[in-house]
Amino acid sequence: MSSTEPLYLVLLVTGFTVGFGHCIGMCGPIVVSLSLNLKGKKVLIPHLFYNAGRVITYGILGGLAGALGSLTILTSSLLSFQKGVLILAGVLVLLMGLAMAGWIPSGRIFGDADAGSSVLAKWFHRLSSAKSPIAYLPLGLLLGLLPCGPVYTALMASARAGMNAHSAFQGFVAGMGMMLVFGMGTLPSLLIVGRLSSLGWIRSRRLIYKAGSVLMVLVGIYFIIQGIRY
Amino acid sequence: MLKSCSIGNKTVDLVLIACLICTTMVSDPRRATAGDSDSKSLIYCDIHQGPCTKELAGMRVTLDILPKPVTAMKDLKFLVALSGEKKNTTPYIDLAMPGMNMGPNRVELRPVKDNVFEGQGIIVRCPSGRRTWKATVTLPEVGKVEFLFDVVY
Repeated sequence: MSSTEPLYLVLLVTGFTVGFGHCIGMCGPIVVSLSLNLKGKKVLIPHLFYNAGRVITYGILGGLAGALGSLTILTSSLLSFQKGVLILAGVLVLLMGLAMAGWIPSGRIFGDADAGSSVLAKWFHRLSSAKSPIAYLPLGLLLGLLPCGPVYTALMASARAGMNAHSAFQGFVAGMGMMLVFGMGTLPSLLIVGRLSSLGWIRSRRLIYKAGSVLMVLVGIYFIIQGIRY
Repeated sequence: MLKSCSIGNKTVDLVLIACLICTTMVSDPRRATAGDSDSKSLIYCDIHQGPCTKELAGMRVTLDILPKPVTAMKDLKFLVALSGEKKNTTPYIDLAMPGMNMGPNRVELRPVKDNVFEGQGIIVRCPSGRRTWKATVTLPEVGKVEFLFDVVY
């Protein structure tokens, strides 16, 4: 048994436990937004693709941290990008909430009619009208970059594994493995949230959509403010 | 696949909701903070001004973190000094955010001189804006002591 093997188990358990607290708080609103955006379609496969994208990004970040042998070098170069991703996530959730409440013409965003001219509207149109759930993969890849405390902690373990590695490549592989395991640990919580928020189990969805849209608007604004302050 | 595995969608969903509510209650930061009776009494350590000291089993345990101000997402040096005769034990530090599971973050220390230990670590940043962290210094077979302090972003 190598000395890093117990660490993989620790990271898997850490991912699982933080998933049911931290991740539901931070990524839950995004996951709920995606479920609501699917409007009664089957949610499991799109959520699997979204989460696969997120875990792949974690793996790449872990590989980089392992190759560099440093968390601070990695995060200092990612800071402004992560800030942008946090603001973008806020804008996405906010727009989805506004459109769902009918406060802005939903057709222009969700693709019921003309896709509109803005990049964001076109992107929403593609996402909501996509026949293949693989469209959710790039979203997961991007939002995997959201700044997150437990992800940083797991990346720290990846960087430490890189410091102990004999080469940058070995560090990359070790770091990537650790973050992939951590990411997989976070899957159950977010898949459960995605499944529950699909609303397939509720007969009258109108009230839930209204309440959900208000919450999404608030969460979107919160994300944008946090992104600006980050 | 999911349908074929389920006893009934409503039953499965109800179980999932119950699990979610339970786990969310367990991980609710406010509940955890309220339940942490030491939290309020621990808020005295201004780590930016200098080292912090607490008593443990008749000895003084002093924690210092450099450089100052203590900033999140920076490489930090952690120093622990123990009073009294030379100890045959090496302490370590566990960093945690009270009421929020940020994952295990241990700073391994090594002796630099008698009863003085140092190690490298990072305090990660929480996008929620929370800044309060807890450093638990553990002396194996002796006990542990906690320091609560704020970090700078």
